[in-house]
Amino acid sequence: MKIKNRISKWVMLGLVLVLAAGCASKENGGQENGSANAGSAKKKVEIALWLTPQWKGVFEASEANADYDSFFKYAAEKFAEQYDKYDVKVNVQVVAGDQRDELLNVNLNGGTAPDIFFESVFAMGDYAHRGALAPLNDIVDDAAKQDIAQSYWDNVTFGSDVYFYPFSHNPGTFAYNADMFKAAGLEKFVGGETEIKTWTLAEYEEILEALKTKLPKDQYSNAYPMALFALNNQADTWNLAYLRMFGNPFFDEQGKIVIDDERGVKSGEWLKKIYDAGYTNPGAESVSSNDANAMFQNQQLAISFTNAVLFNNAKADMEAGKAPKFDVRLANIPSESGDPLSFTYVVGSSVFNTGDEVRMQVAKDFVKFYSTDAELVKASKNGIPVRSSVAAEFKDQYPLFAAYDANAKYMFAFTGNVPGYSELRQVLYPELQAIYTDEKSPAQAIKDYQEKGNAVIQKAKENSTIK
Amino acid sequence: MKLRNHYLKENVTGYLFILPQALLFLLFIVYPILEGLRLSLFKVQYQKETFVGWDNYVTLFNDPVFFKSLVNTVVFVVFIVVLTVAFALFVASSVFDKNAKYVSFIRGSYYIPVMVSMVVMSMVWGFLLNPANGLISYAARELEFSTVNLLGNKNTVMPVIIFVTFATNVGQAIILYIASMIGVPKDLFEAAEVDGASRVQVIFKILIPLVKPTTLYIAIMNIIAVLKIFVVIQLLTGGGPNNSSVTMMYYLYNNAFKYNQLGVASAVGVIMFLITFLLSVPQLRAMFKEK
Repeated sequence: MKIKNRISKWVMLGLVLVLAAGCASKENGGQENGSANAGSAKKKVEIALWLTPQWKGVFEASEANADYDSFFKYAAEKFAEQYDKYDVKVNVQVVAGDQRDELLNVNLNGGTAPDIFFESVFAMGDYAHRGALAPLNDIVDDAAKQDIAQSYWDNVTFGSDVYFYPFSHNPGTFAYNADMFKAAGLEKFVGGETEIKTWTLAEYEEILEALKTKLPKDQYSNAYPMALFALNNQADTWNLAYLRMFGNPFFDEQGKIVIDDERGVKSGEWLKKIYDAGYTNPGAESVSSNDANAMFQNQQLAISFTNAVLFNNAKADMEAGKAPKFDVRLANIPSESGDPLSFTYVVGSSVFNTGDEVRMQVAKDFVKFYSTDAELVKASKNGIPVRSSVAAEFKDQYPLFAAYDANAKYMFAFTGNVPGYSELRQVLYPELQAIYTDEKSPAQAIKDYQEKGNAVIQKAKENSTIK
Repeated sequence: MKLRNHYLKENVTGYLFILPQALLFLLFIVYPILEGLRLSLFKVQYQKETFVGWDNYVTLFNDPVFFKSLVNTVVFVVFIVVLTVAFALFVASSVFDKNAKYVSFIRGSYYIPVMVSMVVMSMVWGFLLNPANGLISYAARELEFSTVNLLGNKNTVMPVIIFVTFATNVGQAIILYIASMIGVPKDLFEAAEVDGASRVQVIFKILIPLVKPTTLYIAIMNIIAVLKIFVVIQLLTGGGPNNSSVTMMYYLYNNAFKYNQLGVASAVGVIMFLITFLLSVPQLRAMFKEK
């Protein structure tokens, strides 16, 4: 009995030790990145780069095995070959845009944030305010400042520091199916292939009416004139443009939302009007931007949202036979004044403040490398290059660059560069849903959005680390 | 003193045997609960934590969406648990004494959805119910009905989620009830038959009282599971339309991971813990009493 007791005690002790060892080895695993590799000359450093889907391929979507991570994998190889400070391995991961904040918050709180995030700046500004990003002033040199226009630097500067290295920008417009337009007898409204067509609001309503009533059902069954979506936080940018349709400036000079006036309410009523008239896909409150995009590609929608990268990807999918082929062209979001509603996302890289000086240094060096390398920056042609040199080089090959350029004077900053934008976009779509489901009048929803939105901005301002 | 030492020595083996489990319990259950309690009193930012007392709770009780999530969660718990218990009792009591192959077939068919991941189930339902390009709305349009958007209507979204969750979960309860009913002594049924009891009387007077421990177990497990209902909401409705289907767990998730309000999210967690605890105590006591 005594022996038996003793054996069981030792077994238990063993189990406890195994358990403790398990925990300890996990801790060691977490510090592996950046640890010295005694066998090689250079110290081995692993960094993680995350991006949301941007363009496919290194330079062209038509390349073999082109995917969203192709560019960064290629850039990482090129960087590792010439980098003399460390033996670098870059782990590239593509994350879904609508899951970005969840993933980042979980990883930030768990101490496993990525080293670099490549994304539209508007979606990442909050992380700068929260003190999660490292300033990039030290990797921005005069050559870059000269080649990239000041407006882009303004977009990526918070307080007095640069937090994002701009790479390209992505103007948002409408995409329309010119074949459907012609089938509905709307030839006169179809713009040129390299044009971003501008319609007046009255013309736009005429287009929607014709698409609803004159589109041949045998050719386009189950199709609707225009995309409208409000399922989740992705329902912000284009909807924010629609809310400016009647001239409301949206933000005042102090960065407060001022949508609750006659013009703002009128735009809410316009959205409700076109929804009720059947000019949009049904169930906007349950439809996501991804659904709308897929419907447009399947010719179930005649007009949808797009940006430069999405537009190029859609065309590439058609060329590759991955999606039905049709004549897709660009148009501006109309407004009552007749001027187009134009906005852009600046896309660039941010470096997370991980606390590991070595990894942060390598991350910065890598960002600088692919944002300045003469060959790699050419990939920015998949959106619209922020570098004048690249834009000039490709302007003949990509005539749309000039069309986007012509829109620049109508550009508005849709985020107002306010802190708390990530949470702000979370309070917009429930109010839009309330409009579409008749739970609130447009006036009430606009009023509630302004109240909730300003509370979010106020709270974020108080918590911001950037003064 | 000697006696106490002897007593300790006698039991030390027992304690050592439960030590690994106790350590894991302390590490993964007790510590997170205490940490959650602590965080609920702090404002958590990336670079610092600030003690704010009851502020997070005050924020919660001033937010109408939190109350909506509370009411929705209670509605889900009541309807899903009652439906599950009632339907499982109905199916199990109808088939438990039938041919073994038939019982297996029924058991299998109801259990298949339980084996399928809730994520997959939600995606399939999402495809069926999508108002723009889903199968149900397409069929409705083809049949010349008006546009059907069950998930976009605040009056239908809750019943749809209740049905989807119930349909996915009920198999587990049916399995447990059938097993429990097969275990009821046969002589009781024979005696009832001799006394001329009808099938309904047998079910209500013999079967249901004798499977009461199973009912309690199913009720507790389902209450706890439904209190944490999340996946269906996240994938089917995103809490919409206009927060009509938001639950406490979804509200917690939004605060923790979308709005980065860890303190507020922890306060929701503490409230959920208290509710679950209060709901479970009487049932657990009843269960132990039975034994």
